[in-house]
Amino acid sequence: MPAMIWLRGLLRRRPGRTLAVAAGVAASVALLASIGAFLSVSKSTMTRRAAQGVPVDWQVEGQAGSKPADLLAAVKAASGVQAALPVGFASTTGLEATTGGTTQTTGPGVVLGIPASYAATFPGEIRNLVGTPQGVLVAQQTAANLHVKPGDTITIGRAGMRAARVRVDGVVELPKADSLFQKVGAPVGSQPSAPPDNVLLLPDATWHATFDPLATTRADLVRTQIHARLDHNLPGDPSAAFSSVTGRARNLEVTLAGSGLVGNNLGAVLDAARKDALYAQVLFLFLGLPGAVLAGLLTAAVAAAGADRRRQEQAILRARGATNRRLVGLATVEAVLAATVGGIAGLAIAWLVGHAAFGSGSFGATPGAAATWIVGAAIVGFVIAVLTVAVPAWRDARHQTVAAGRAAIGRATSPRWQRWGLDIICLAASAVVYWLTGRNGYQLVLVPEGVSAISVSYWAFAGPALLWVGAGLFTWRLADLFLSRGRPIMRRILRPIAGDLSSTVASSMSRERRALGRALALVALSVIFAASTAVFNATYQQQSGVDARLTNGADVTVTESPGANVPPSFATKLASVKGVKSVEPVQHRFAYVGADLQDLYGVRTDSIVNAGRLQNAYFQGGTAKGLMKELSARPDGILVSAETAKDFQLKLGDEFRLRLVDGRTKQARSVVFHYVGQAKEFPTAPKDSFMIANSSYVAKATGSDAVGAFLIETSGSSPSTVAAGVRSVVGPNAPVTDLQTSRRVVGSSLTAVDLAGLTKVELGFALVFAGGSAALLLVLGFAERRRSFAIAGALGARRRHLGAFVWSESGYVAVGGLLAGALVGWVLSNMLIKVLTGVFDPAPAAAAVPWAYLGSLTALILAAIVIAAATVLRRIRRQALTSMRGL
Amino acid sequence: MSNDQQPVVVCEAVARTFGAGPAAVVAVHGVSCRVPQNARIALTGTSGSGKSTLLHLLAGLDFPTAGTITWPAIGDRGALRPGPVAIVFQGPSLMPSLDVLENVCLPPLLAGAGEAVSLQEAEAALERLGLGRLLHALPEELSGGQAQRVAVARALVGAPQLLLADEPTGQLDHVAGALVIDALVDTADHLGAALVISTHDPEIAERLPTRWCMSDGRLLTESRDQVAVGTA
Ligand SMILES: Nc1ncnc2c1ncn2[C@@H]1O[C@H](COP(=O)(O)OP(=O)(O)OP(=O)(O)O)[C@@H](O)[C@H]1O
Ligand SMILES: [Mg+2]
Repeated sequence: MPAMIWLRGLLRRRPGRTLAVAAGVAASVALLASIGAFLSVSKSTMTRRAAQGVPVDWQVEGQAGSKPADLLAAVKAASGVQAALPVGFASTTGLEATTGGTTQTTGPGVVLGIPASYAATFPGEIRNLVGTPQGVLVAQQTAANLHVKPGDTITIGRAGMRAARVRVDGVVELPKADSLFQKVGAPVGSQPSAPPDNVLLLPDATWHATFDPLATTRADLVRTQIHARLDHNLPGDPSAAFSSVTGRARNLEVTLAGSGLVGNNLGAVLDAARKDALYAQVLFLFLGLPGAVLAGLLTAAVAAAGADRRRQEQAILRARGATNRRLVGLATVEAVLAATVGGIAGLAIAWLVGHAAFGSGSFGATPGAAATWIVGAAIVGFVIAVLTVAVPAWRDARHQTVAAGRAAIGRATSPRWQRWGLDIICLAASAVVYWLTGRNGYQLVLVPEGVSAISVSYWAFAGPALLWVGAGLFTWRLADLFLSRGRPIMRRILRPIAGDLSSTVASSMSRERRALGRALALVALSVIFAASTAVFNATYQQQSGVDARLTNGADVTVTESPGANVPPSFATKLASVKGVKSVEPVQHRFAYVGADLQDLYGVRTDSIVNAGRLQNAYFQGGTAKGLMKELSARPDGILVSAETAKDFQLKLGDEFRLRLVDGRTKQARSVVFHYVGQAKEFPTAPKDSFMIANSSYVAKATGSDAVGAFLIETSGSSPSTVAAGVRSVVGPNAPVTDLQTSRRVVGSSLTAVDLAGLTKVELGFALVFAGGSAALLLVLGFAERRRSFAIAGALGARRRHLGAFVWSESGYVAVGGLLAGALVGWVLSNMLIKVLTGVFDPAPAAAAVPWAYLGSLTALILAAIVIAAATVLRRIRRQALTSMRGL
Repeated sequence: MSNDQQPVVVCEAVARTFGAGPAAVVAVHGVSCRVPQNARIALTGTSGSGKSTLLHLLAGLDFPTAGTITWPAIGDRGALRPGPVAIVFQGPSLMPSLDVLENVCLPPLLAGAGEAVSLQEAEAALERLGLGRLLHALPEELSGGQAQRVAVARALVGAPQLLLADEPTGQLDHVAGALVIDALVDTADHLGAALVISTHDPEIAERLPTRWCMSDGRLLTESRDQVAVGTA
């Protein structure tokens, strides 16, 4: 079989090219499959994290006429249910307490009846703050409203009946109040906007004794829910987990035949997680795909470097009677061989990388996804091999003319894409797509109202993708233009390197501009890829840090219980703990804005910006520093949320009244503030609405300087270690939280996914591509021109003369590639961050620049080029005198 | 150090073998010869007889596998280039990325003659070979004969003491061939340089006073003024 003979000959004589193509295929297959492996791991992480944060998976509410015991039995029998307990919900007309000589009353509230094993069955649903975890428990805010502590007595108002009295055993926090008090079965839009202000928890016996009588007269005020915990051994993919959990909930509802509705907390969280997972998918694809394309381009460049020799070879074969079909067939066999070897090697590398970086060699969350990734990656590899080996052979076979062989050098007309202005078209299209995406508010993941399917607007990525391609081509055009038109400038620049030879070198480079421009553009493309991936990842890490910091407040945060009355001077005691750098006291009060209860933070304007690491993005209409200055200039100034400002139609300087509890009289009193601006985020503050004012003014107006939280900055030591030290100072009454722990806990948001593994892999690939492309292209370029250098050597060129050629070209490719890469990389990073705004929470004020990585990238490229050039130079010198055959 | 009486090149029992073992090809064998300073030598011989190999050895571009070569009038091997030894190769030898003028400028530039001087010399040499209109053509745009004449022009610039030309008229018609030989001889006369031209053309061989003939790697002589030719 002549094909086999020829192939064997090819592999024996010149295995280099086939191996190079196989290596290129391996690199892109490995990159894509690694991304698949990472995605599979991060998706399972998302599912696990999301499910972990849900203490009560289902809240099943009985409908009119159903018996709680039947409902409990049905829920317990449902598939996947591990534990189920009944919980009573009763409405009270109001609570009352008399403490320290004053009597406080509240508006309507909810009284829960909790079985003794509830806290153990659903850990995380109830958090004990003060007193015992069993018995009569008061929610934190209710305790603040009533000024009660363990041992005090509360009177529970019952509609149409005598009030009941209970003794408080403890104060608790209900972290999941929103889902706990949901209206089961109601759509998202008609859920209550906030959980009830007043909540009391009774042991179920007490609750039944208190409210069973009420149920006989006012059944509408008393109801029972069954709370269930499910087996969290869910499918890895959040989407699959979501389907599985919602399917089970629907089954249960069908079984209940209308006698009960399921409030699916786990389903809701998984729903959010599958949206995040989709984001993750597009994100990683988007960061990884250019890498695969780059590997393809490099492979093509490598294959093209041997094109002249291949044409000669083909000409000989043709002279021996081979038909075009046979030649193309042979090239196809070679391509398939390279694709197979490269594909297998690539998958093996990905498997190893997956194990090393993510601890998993699986390529997908489900077998189907794994198959898709493997087959997809293999197809990409195959396409690369065919495009770089078989297609050029086919083209040569069709246009085999002498002139075609000469086109590489000299006065060849500009390539077709340049004449068509493809680069300009790409750049313009990129700008248009970017503009359109911006007009849609960078909505990438679309969740159409009323449809359970979610979709991704993939085409938004056309913006950055076209920018990358367009910028690469445009760089090539500019490099080309500079070498052809800028010869006088070039000559002057080269004078220090090339001396008398500078115009000769400039002319030679101008004639080699096609190859040099291609090398420069490829270096630029790899730099852009590396730089934008690095900047994006750094920004992503920065924002997930900001997210955790916003949630936790500071490195270490001490949250004081309401009524604890800790003065700001306690900060000095905290400051003496080892590892503490600074301590910032922040007041936290509840204030009535009309009928709405909001969080009010009293701050020290001169130190909070640094202590709370306030970012400009947290505020609207001014910088963090500027707005704090305005606050300090106006002692009664206040910052409110955009929503509040809109609701009350506030204009700057408007008077704004709040009702605050006076620390001396324990009575609410009206306090006048003036509106000075808007705040969107604040450490420890809830995301929706809160207010910021001067702590001195709040203290004066309420007669109390009690601190709500101490924000502690550490001096280099690990926050969790410092937190332990702080804990020993503050005792058990005030919870102490640290950044590291909260970073691990921060909900299901995408920023919670640890990108570290992917970062390592992608940035590693980027480094290899950047260094590799620079070195490879130079070495191949010079190898192609071995003859030229041999001639120069025969004419008496010394090391420095040959060096003038080699260093000038290398320097041009390195400097041009790095400059263009840095410039476009910066633009592309910012575009990526804008397009992927939805990924960030909160949105970044500015891109983070990973100087260390960019520095090593630059160093690596320069080193690769220097080593390549030096190696080439040594080899030329050695060959110069001996490769004179044919001269 | 150069003395008027010293020969430019001296070969003693020089051999050049390519490859090793049974596949070894002995291209040059047992050659002893001297090229005096004003030599005008025509090197003839059948194809494959070792002419090119010998010229490369004389030019110091190749190393003998046996015997010694010295350049008494010039110095050691490192002093041969750029400057003292110029060679016209048998095959195409122009740098593809440089135009005609730049190619011809290269030797004086490498020798440190400076741009202005190099340009002047190169233009004069090209003019002399009838290539004045092709100064800015690229090698790929030249005919084989034109390229060969450019290569000759390149050998004429600078001030070589030893001019070696490997079939410089191989692709030329009689008129152009005569022009090339004239240019080579005139330049050698003008500079007082030694000239060795390998050729298949008896007419050209006839024009030179000394004729060496190669056969199967050995150097035979048919010269009138014997210059220490022999086999060892
Ligand atoms: N690099 C090489 N490797 C192997 N053999 C070689 C090499 N160079 C030359 N030869 C062999 O040495 C012998 C002499 O070659 P050379 O080129 O010197 O001949 P030539 O006399 O110049 O012939 P022509 O008149 O055809 O140019 C030939 O048999 C040739 O095959
Ligand atoms: Mg020859």
